[in-house]
Amino acid sequence: MSEVASAPQTPEGGTPIIGPDPIYLRDPLLDATVRMVVELTAQMWVERERRMSLEARLTEAGVLPAGAADRWQPSAELAARLKQERDRLVDDVFKELRRIPATAVSQD
Amino acid sequence: MSPTATTAVLPDLARRDDAAYLDFVEGFREYILGKGADFEDRLDAQARAEAGRRGQAWTDLEELRAYLQRFPLTQMRDRLVRTQQEMKWHRLARSYSDRRKELEAELARWDNQGPGKLLLDPAFKVPDYANVEFHLQPGGYYHDALSGFLYHYGTKVFFRGGNDQDELHGALVGRAPPPADGKVRRVLDMACSVGQSSTAFKRRYPQAEVIGIDYAAPMLRVAHRRAAMAGLDVTFAQRLVEKTGFPDAHFDITFAFIVFHELPLRIIHETVREAARITRPGGRFIVFDFTESAIKSPYQLYHRWFDARHNGEPYSQDFCDCNLDAVLANNGFSADADVMAQRSGGAGYVKHWFATRV
Repeated sequence: MSEVASAPQTPEGGTPIIGPDPIYLRDPLLDATVRMVVELTAQMWVERERRMSLEARLTEAGVLPAGAADRWQPSAELAARLKQERDRLVDDVFKELRRIPATAVSQD
Repeated sequence: MSPTATTAVLPDLARRDDAAYLDFVEGFREYILGKGADFEDRLDAQARAEAGRRGQAWTDLEELRAYLQRFPLTQMRDRLVRTQQEMKWHRLARSYSDRRKELEAELARWDNQGPGKLLLDPAFKVPDYANVEFHLQPGGYYHDALSGFLYHYGTKVFFRGGNDQDELHGALVGRAPPPADGKVRRVLDMACSVGQSSTAFKRRYPQAEVIGIDYAAPMLRVAHRRAAMAGLDVTFAQRLVEKTGFPDAHFDITFAFIVFHELPLRIIHETVREAARITRPGGRFIVFDFTESAIKSPYQLYHRWFDARHNGEPYSQDFCDCNLDAVLANNGFSADADVMAQRSGGAGYVKHWFATRV
């Protein structure tokens, strides 16, 4: 692990605290990649959890016949909202790219 | 989950998605710290085998660190441990910030409602040593009005669902032995944070006066709200553990749950001295905290090294290296201490000290 700048310390000393965005793997790109994979998995779970909950509720309530969700088209208003949500998801996952230090070099 | 449930003991997050996200973090944390990824046993075995080859136990933390960090397994462990913590706080802070106005109003609504009292000191100066983002919590314990709610939800994830109803605090308080004469009239919960132990004490000793103190006003406000909502008459006051201001021999039980590892060594000594002053002869000083370095497994030593630097616990190494048994004895306590639970590869992470004021 390459140590990075320490965060501000308290006057009482103790162990120096590592500052933001430490690099643990051999290359900052690897750290960013791993963070993205974990984030993506979290986002995937969020979506799956919601879809499963909704589908279960709809089935229980007898609101939609089976397969209706596959045939459905959103309104223009909802389509715009979906795009906003999509952009938020992209940033949630790929914000890690902003954390790659510009000055870092890969190690052999 | 109602989208407007600010009135729950632990207020709902802004969106169901946030709760699902943190549910993922909780499961992921279990996975990487437990048998799922199985980092602990494998790395501990590596370090033990190397110690065997070298013919000596690990005593130099820097050597142990250098040895273990050669392995990609350690590097990945470190990456993931840090990542899950960052993910938790990032999502949690964003979610509660989205409800900031209503949550702050909810806190204000309870500040002056009983039962119980909230005693904040407008002139109180938080000591410099507390200016740390412990466990990477954004803003630490007192820089954000919502720090108490953040901490409470953060520990919900940390305890992996096992403390949603204060089960852990209830069990620990239940294990704490009362004084031999059975008299419990006053209890002090030192550095009480959101007051989970304080309320557990009030439930166990309904006739006793229970006081929780902390330097962090946002924690105390949540503590008071929680206790008042539960109908428990507990006083929460903004005071320092090392300088409580209470009279000599005032308390039958003085309690400190995972407090010492977040205090500088100098303050640890001052706090034990203060506990000795305010605990009556025959009274108990009950401490739960990290095990000392001398009985840690190699992996646990590394874990402590890591958390001190990478999880915002700058004083924890000094605490684990200090001999709390001796500090207690030097301040007039006779202590019965034991590790609470065994974990594979070594002793447990937490130990209790049931000390009696001589």
